[in-house]
Amino acid sequence: MAKILIVDDDKDFVSAVSLVLKSNGFDVAIANSRQEGMEKFDEDNPDLVLLDVMMDEPDDGFVMAQSLKKKVKDIPILMLTSIGQVTGMDFDKDSEMVPVDDFEQKPIMPNILLEKINQLLGK
Amino acid sequence: MQIIDRQKVNEQINDLKKKYGDDRSALMPILQDLQEIYEYLPNVVMQETAHALGIHPVEVEGVASFYSFFRTKEKQGKYVIRLCRTISCDLAGKSNVARQLENELGVKFGETTKDGKFTLEYTNCLGMCDQGPALMINDRLFAKVDPEKASQIIADCRRDFLKSDFPKVVPSDVKKAGPILDHGLKPAEALKKALGMSRSDIINTIRESGLKGRGGAGFPTAVKWQLAGAAKGKNKYVVCNADEGEPGTFKDRMLLYEHTDILLDGMTIGAYAIGASKGFIYLRGEYLYMKKYLEEALKNRRSENLLGKNILGKDGFNFNIQIRMGAGAYVCGEETALIESLEGYRGEPRNRPPFPVDTGFQGNPTIVNNVETFIDAALIISKGAEWFNEHGTEKSKGMKIFSISGDCRHPGIYEFPFGIKVSELLKEVGGEDAKAVQIGGASGHCISRKDFNRTIAFEDIGSGGSIIVFGPDTDMLQVARNFLEFFVEESCGQCTPCRDGNPKLLEGVEMLENGRCSVAYLNELKKLGETIQNASKCGLGQSSPNAFLSIVDNFKPEILGRVPEAE
Ligand SMILES: Cc1cc2nc3c(=O)[nH]c(=O)nc-3n(C[C@H](O)[C@H](O)[C@H](O)COP(=O)(O)O)c2cc1C
Ligand code: SF4
Ligand code: FES
Repeated sequence: MAKILIVDDDKDFVSAVSLVLKSNGFDVAIANSRQEGMEKFDEDNPDLVLLDVMMDEPDDGFVMAQSLKKKVKDIPILMLTSIGQVTGMDFDKDSEMVPVDDFEQKPIMPNILLEKINQLLGK
Repeated sequence: MQIIDRQKVNEQINDLKKKYGDDRSALMPILQDLQEIYEYLPNVVMQETAHALGIHPVEVEGVASFYSFFRTKEKQGKYVIRLCRTISCDLAGKSNVARQLENELGVKFGETTKDGKFTLEYTNCLGMCDQGPALMINDRLFAKVDPEKASQIIADCRRDFLKSDFPKVVPSDVKKAGPILDHGLKPAEALKKALGMSRSDIINTIRESGLKGRGGAGFPTAVKWQLAGAAKGKNKYVVCNADEGEPGTFKDRMLLYEHTDILLDGMTIGAYAIGASKGFIYLRGEYLYMKKYLEEALKNRRSENLLGKNILGKDGFNFNIQIRMGAGAYVCGEETALIESLEGYRGEPRNRPPFPVDTGFQGNPTIVNNVETFIDAALIISKGAEWFNEHGTEKSKGMKIFSISGDCRHPGIYEFPFGIKVSELLKEVGGEDAKAVQIGGASGHCISRKDFNRTIAFEDIGSGGSIIVFGPDTDMLQVARNFLEFFVEESCGQCTPCRDGNPKLLEGVEMLENGRCSVAYLNELKKLGETIQNASKCGLGQSSPNAFLSIVDNFKPEILGRVPEAE
């Protein structure tokens, strides 16, 4: 069974997403900050990481993605952003600065999220 | 009446377009050069500039009228004398200098002599507060002017400075250096090391160092660089904020001149890290004398491939820097106003978000950093994060360069760690008997003796490094008045609380001076001050009442119930 690590400081979002994932047969690990996320990553060895951008610092998601890819080169990362709407920011995938496999906007429909996850896991 | 040949104007504009580009962002430098030629901006010149850049003439007039260094009405004198009237120079006796200048020239402030030789004006802080009273003549600065010196300076002017004992460049007075100022680094050393690192490693090193912006707001530099590096956009920009307009700040003047290559290393490292190919140094108009010197430094770096294409053999890393001059508007130090100004508009702050890291110069991702921040970044890359963060406090890492002026025995530039107590600092500068200290310039706070055990750090009293010491005899109302006059003059006028609120506070100070302010009304003024803080659009308005409010809070017995001298 594939294990997903969700790293996001929005607790409501985390519980909603983990419900969806669990009911579709995924194992789920949760972290609410970059530091916690790195610890859980080492403990739980997830197959995919769902990663928020702005947590304690507005760039935590990028920093974490960089550290993750340094540890496990081909770990799939799906970055979830809500900052597009709040700050008008627009980010690009970039192997150096934003080493993620895909982006999705929050809020996200469960079926789209599942589709994306399966796609990334299947590659 | 000067007769101006339209065709000639057009030829000049065409040449300038070749130099500065043909889009709107070329407007300011073109106007600056044209003003140099015509000694003001006659209508014809503004109209032709507008046509040449494809914008409406009213737009050009709007820009020219915004900046105090542009003249649209009448020809200015061959020598424009600008006397600083901001707080440190005010306390150092600028009024006597002003009087003597009027006597020597036979004109009042705001006027030009009949022979067209001199224009006399007031200006705000010139970045020489430790050596005041200060004045500026065209691109030349003069320090420690007294009435007698003022008359000598005028005499030198009349001889077109053929012979003058005054130094061409007033040296900065560094009183205490530390690890930053004594870095001992050679030009390009830090850059070479950076180019051997990955972009994310550079930003991670800056993150580990804990560096926060040295311009005053203290935003983490690594976050800014990371966000700009991650932002979508082919053209990214690096901007050095060398506007140094905060009254009481003069350390950037020294850093720009004495650590030029380290600054340029820092900007180039920033460009590499975020993926920028163009940079600007936005240099305040008051530091015009430095422009040639900086251009020379840029030229040398181009010839050594420290700027240009494939820098130091790094394939695909292209970066160049241009200097853009400000024109005497304090608000242009605010980063979004600065960007507006670079784009050729009035320096009116933008709403945020969006932020410059995403939507900066011409809508592209842009980092704007203070001079000192870029220098610190270069040193951190060269010497490591720990070298930097072994000094300072938990939340305010590193050493900081301070500009210290006012009533103390040893004013000047000092390097202290963040977290230094105000009382320790006063001891170092010979200001132990101070009655009050203004921390963070006009936009900062005025603290009294009861708070001298507080520390200077972002978590206590934050500051871009401007410290103004007020001795036991200082009239605190005079201080409040000076700061408010500054803000009334420098407000860009875009939003009501700042534009209309500050004149009301100033009026209140006048009432206090005349002993005609009730406590009830004073409380109203305090409420107004808080509204201005909360409702203003940019940092200028938000911080403009700080000094007034803290003076009212800390010195009430001194400011209430005054009996005017005349009575
Ligand atoms: C009215 C106003 C004036 C400012 N003037 C300056 C200035 O002269 N120099 C500067 O570096 N920052 C100035 N700032 C702060 C800038 O907006 C910006 O925060 C800074 O350039 C960011 O650089 P840093 O993070 O390296 O400090 C000013 C801010 C305001 C609101
Ligand atoms: S607060 Fe003042 S300076 Fe800032 S935008 Fe409003 S009017 Fe302009
Ligand atoms: S130079 Fe006059 S106050 Fe700064």
